[in-house]
Amino acid sequence: MSAPVHADGQWPHEPEKATLEGRNKVLGFWLFLGGEAVLFGTLFATFLALRNSIGDGPAASELFKLPMIAAATIILLASSLTSVFAVQALHQNRVKSMIQWLIATVVLGFAFLGLEIYEFVEYVHEGHTFTTSAFSTAFYTLVGFHGAHVLFGVVWITILIVQVQKKGLNLVTAPKVYVSAIYWHFIDVVWVFIFTVVYLMGKVG
Amino acid sequence: MAAQQAASDQSKRRHKHEGPQKHIVAFIFSIVLTLIAFAAVGSAGEVNTTFIYIILMVMAILQVVIQMAYWMHMKDKGHMLPIVFMFGGAIVALTCIVMAVYWVWWG
Repeated sequence: MSAPVHADGQWPHEPEKATLEGRNKVLGFWLFLGGEAVLFGTLFATFLALRNSIGDGPAASELFKLPMIAAATIILLASSLTSVFAVQALHQNRVKSMIQWLIATVVLGFAFLGLEIYEFVEYVHEGHTFTTSAFSTAFYTLVGFHGAHVLFGVVWITILIVQVQKKGLNLVTAPKVYVSAIYWHFIDVVWVFIFTVVYLMGKVG
Repeated sequence: MAAQQAASDQSKRRHKHEGPQKHIVAFIFSIVLTLIAFAAVGSAGEVNTTFIYIILMVMAILQVVIQMAYWMHMKDKGHMLPIVFMFGGAIVALTCIVMAVYWVWWG
């Protein structure tokens, strides 16, 4: 099965948009991200409404440990940077470099997930479980949903790495990698609001 | 013919590609904005809480705008519809937040 190549046989400037299918894929994905923004918006709304309803459970300010949140933030920011480097390599048709940056992104994503799991285990030990209070339920739903997105992202990008290694980088695989990078940046953007609204504002009180 | 010859004579990279510098600058900006936000929380107790909230939200929005513009390529041309989609999503999300906060806190 031969993959379509560009009309003049050269790697196009934006390979993800060189075919109609690619253009549709990218545009459709942006529509999906608009919906994702609404979805996270509703979870943020619930959290903001309930963040002081702690019942008998621990309050945000006594629970959160900022050094761990800072570490998670740096890790996710760095993974966003490696992801954008992968897209630059994609645009320049440097497959090896692209795969290396994608692997770096996946590794950083797993590091973030590891930190988050450790954090949640700590909280449960401190009596902050899913059903402790309205605050704890809203917290785990919002942050856990973001964590599930990170997990989906690392699995997705890992599968794409395998696929690109099998089928090569062409005008069919390029839009897939591009769209996964956009998704990854979106996850990072959501985390910016999570560390601001949940952790930092929670610490302030 | 001549044009084809010229094209094949050129190196593999026919069109200009942006370097990594812009993205590294965006990364440094993100780190600095994050540090300011964490520092603002460190000053809690000495400074008015509302003022800290405002600083935190400004830092978050600035950081998100930078990341969307550079890392999600929204500053590049041909991104009119993505901007419409994300802006539309943000409006609905913001409406939900205003509704929930108003409803629960002052309802």
